[in-house]
Amino acid sequence: MSVEKYLKPSVINQIKRLDLRAQFVIKGFLHGLHASPFHGFSVEFSEHRKYTQGDDLKDIDWQVFAKTDKYYVKKFESETNITGFLAMDLSRSMGYTYQQELTKFDYAICLAASLAYLMISQQDPVGLVTFNDRVRQSLAPKSKRTQLSNLLSLLSNLEPEGKTDFKHSMGQMASMLKTRSLVMIFSDFLVDEKDTLDALIRLRHSGHDVILFHVLDEAEVNFPFNGVYKMRDPETDEEIKVDADGFRKSYLEQINKFRDDLAANCRSSGVDYVPIDTSMQFDTALIEYLHSRRARG
Amino acid sequence: MTWLNVGMLGIGGALISVPVILHFLFQPKPVSVDFPALRFLKQKQQTTRSRMQLKHIALLLIRCLLIALAALALAGPSVASNEFGNWLTLGGVGFSGLVVALVAAAAFFKDNKNWLLIGVLGAFLLGHLVFGGVAASRLINSETTSLIGDTQAPIAALVVVDTSPRMELEFENESRLSKAKAFGQWLVSQFPGDSQVCVAATDGDQPFFSVDTGAADRRMTKLETNFSGAKIPETILAGLETLEESALDRKEIYVLSDLTAEAWSGEGTKKLLRKLKQQPDTSLFVVDVGVENPSDFALGPLNLSAVEIGKDGRVSVSTVVSRIGDAAQRTIKMQVEKIDASRPVVRDGKTLFPESYFPVQSISADIRQNGTAPAKFTFSQPLDVGTYHGSVEIEGQDGLAINDERFFTFRVSKTRKTLVVHPENVNPQVMRSLLAPQADVEAGSARFDLQVVDQIEFNQMEDFAGFDAVFLLDPDPIVDTQWQRLETYVQGGGGLGLFLGRNANDQGIAHASFLSDSAVRVIGGRLDQQWFDETGDLFLSPKELSHPVFNPIQGSETAVLWNRFGIFKHWGIELNADEADLPTQTILRYSNREPAVVERTIGDGRVLTMTTPVTEYGFAEGRQIWNRLLTGKPVPLFLLLTGMVSHLVQNDAESLNVLVGQASVLQNDFSENPDSYQVFSPIEDKPPTTLNTVDGRVRYRFNEAPGHYRYRGLFNDEVVTRGFSSNLPPAATQLARVDASDLDEVLGADRYQLATQQNQITRQQGTVRRGQELYPIIVMMMLLMLAVEYLMSNRFYS
Repeated sequence: MSVEKYLKPSVINQIKRLDLRAQFVIKGFLHGLHASPFHGFSVEFSEHRKYTQGDDLKDIDWQVFAKTDKYYVKKFESETNITGFLAMDLSRSMGYTYQQELTKFDYAICLAASLAYLMISQQDPVGLVTFNDRVRQSLAPKSKRTQLSNLLSLLSNLEPEGKTDFKHSMGQMASMLKTRSLVMIFSDFLVDEKDTLDALIRLRHSGHDVILFHVLDEAEVNFPFNGVYKMRDPETDEEIKVDADGFRKSYLEQINKFRDDLAANCRSSGVDYVPIDTSMQFDTALIEYLHSRRARG
Repeated sequence: MTWLNVGMLGIGGALISVPVILHFLFQPKPVSVDFPALRFLKQKQQTTRSRMQLKHIALLLIRCLLIALAALALAGPSVASNEFGNWLTLGGVGFSGLVVALVAAAAFFKDNKNWLLIGVLGAFLLGHLVFGGVAASRLINSETTSLIGDTQAPIAALVVVDTSPRMELEFENESRLSKAKAFGQWLVSQFPGDSQVCVAATDGDQPFFSVDTGAADRRMTKLETNFSGAKIPETILAGLETLEESALDRKEIYVLSDLTAEAWSGEGTKKLLRKLKQQPDTSLFVVDVGVENPSDFALGPLNLSAVEIGKDGRVSVSTVVSRIGDAAQRTIKMQVEKIDASRPVVRDGKTLFPESYFPVQSISADIRQNGTAPAKFTFSQPLDVGTYHGSVEIEGQDGLAINDERFFTFRVSKTRKTLVVHPENVNPQVMRSLLAPQADVEAGSARFDLQVVDQIEFNQMEDFAGFDAVFLLDPDPIVDTQWQRLETYVQGGGGLGLFLGRNANDQGIAHASFLSDSAVRVIGGRLDQQWFDETGDLFLSPKELSHPVFNPIQGSETAVLWNRFGIFKHWGIELNADEADLPTQTILRYSNREPAVVERTIGDGRVLTMTTPVTEYGFAEGRQIWNRLLTGKPVPLFLLLTGMVSHLVQNDAESLNVLVGQASVLQNDFSENPDSYQVFSPIEDKPPTTLNTVDGRVRYRFNEAPGHYRYRGLFNDEVVTRGFSSNLPPAATQLARVDASDLDEVLGADRYQLATQQNQITRQQGTVRRGQELYPIIVMMMLLMLAVEYLMSNRFYS
């Protein structure tokens, strides 16, 4: 159970190297899966299948046999490879944190790195796109081991800046995708909702599967403020003076409505929507990925 | 409203500016934070800004209010007690109105406005305004009670002390008067220097301001029981007149009383109520020094069968012993002094009274709890002519001793000369039997020297001055000259008994001679018609037996069955109502409520007229008799006639036994009495005074205490002792407590403050002089405001 602690953002925050973060998250995640109701799923996922006549005997996993008294063979290649694209929102709003722990950006990077680690370990090719008002950087999808180090190297050097133009950026990214891909978007989506929807629909029309990781800070979800604050939008530098107590109820209604609307729109467009805040464990996002992966497998 | 430190109001007013300045100088600086989801806040920004401003203004108001309250509390406001309720109402309405206004404002600025709630709060606020307006107008219109704001400022004080005999009640080894005096002395010592103090006792004298508080204290010390019968209301009224003379602002009345109902009764009660209403600024304290459940034995008034008897006559004395408290047994004794020519006498500055008595009589009385028991003594001794004093006393310890002894006086007189007049057809035997029984005449002990004449002879008589009394038995018509002579005789002190019957009749109505002016003046009324009752259901029906005529009957009232002696006829009489002197009064009626015996006072004498004769002997030939008073055993008639005769021949006998405060007027015949006397009061240390004869009478007015008042004079070198007895009226020692409601009727509800302890007085004095202090209430409001301020500021600036 000790490795499961790495699923907690507060623990991961203490590890500075991104590759280690990703490794610890995935190890913790997988360990948890073995003991979880997802056991059957995890076996399937972990490239075990029932032994059938003709399979190489050396592929039999004798440890599983010892536990289950059944023959399972290890599979080292996925039966259906999927090309993953990690789309990372670089805008300044992603650099926000209230508790001075993981920013939304840090959380998203950590999650993205973990997913990349997982996918590459499954021989799935993974690419990366970063964007704010336009696509800033991209890395073509590959499944080699070196891809992981390239990808982590790129992610660890990213800094949130600028405003978000989601529609434009997604348009650019869609044109870059040559094959049917699984696009995993990490953003706070604090942009025009219609632009977001239009961009998602375009991606879906292009035949891509989309998982939308809606990353918000814990403070943005719970609004834990008391008293008077002067609040500034980091992207627009707009400031307003607020009495947090008077605002809280209305704000929570608004943010929940925003998330619900986004979830509903995603559902109607065939997009998987994963609401996340920075206080949540990483497995929430990872399980969502697995659901999607299974649906496609 | 008064202020202890009014300067604090100014300082407080100045300090209120501090939070205002701080509010503007040190506006709360909000914490700057980045917040990407700002767009979800922008929509609410406008309303929230208004709400924030409202909150800040509310906070500012609360802080200002806090300082104002602190200044107010330090300024020490106080209001008159009678205005306290109005101020409290106004303050409460204002405070709750402020709260309602804040809540209403909050509801109004809320996003989801609940118009119903806002409406209800608005209506509530309006109600507050109306109610507050009413309270304010009531406060403006109320009669302001002046406050001196300082407990040490001089005051004008009236201290009324009940000095009635009831105050001698002992309880816990202390009389009520002692307790009242001690309380009064303490009160006087509490008054600020330069106060004007008037110590008033219930002695009927006009109260006055003492020179200083020291003199007031000395006067208080010297107060003694007095028997004037003055009540507290009239004493307060008299004291108020004195109090009004003072120029001092603050006036206070203290009444030290045992709170007995008798003390607070009297004619002055209504006037006092009016007067106190006119002087709302004068505070009134009633100090109860009484006993809630007293214990006492008491003797009722004494009833003597006769106050004038013959040498071998007898006197019966009856009374009632009453008890307040548990059942008990007591010995009652009666004693009669022997005449002692050598006493009273003053020796070494002390009066020595007679000490020799006839054998003392004692009886034992068992008295139920809060009950009564009769006591009757019969005195029968061969006596010399003279005045005799006696007393009846309850032996043993008692809380209130003064009502345990009562005094009486009777006299043994020489033979009284009486004239009995009868027409030829009337038998005077009844009067002979009554006034001069044959046995007494033969023994030489008859009280009356009886002269019986017929009316023809009477008509020839010109002067009746030699007779003590004249009796006309069923007279024939009397000439006007004789009526006038009779009137002159009565005016000179004679007694006339008229027993009217059939001979006054003239064809169904009264003969004209009985209707002449002279006759009407003597009779006391005009005979109008005869009343008939053949059934025998009409009889004499005495209701009130207090008249001396009924003295022989008293003590045996229940044994006298008047209804066995029917009346068939009697004269109706229309009484003179507009007499210049004492009007004619009915002292006995028939059962049809018509007058049977009327009394008329003319000059020094009196006339008793009976409207039916006393000479009907049960049967009369050829006519119906007027009554059956003489049939069977005519004891009731004899008792009545005895009383009437005694009343007529002893027209000064009433003065032998009087109540305290009443004058005693005794006739003084120079032929056998001195023209002046020394009067010895029952008060031992009071020196004797000289009493002279005026108009043939000696009149003594200074009857201030119960007991025997003895006259001593010299006539032909022989000592003559006379005198009278004085007793307290029973009401003077009644200890029944006054009800709170009755006290309210005398003084006005909420007009006075009742106290039993000194600390209650101290507290109440502080209240009336400084008023009801608002300090505790303001401090409570301050604490409340402080809590609200703390909560609000914490919420704003966390």
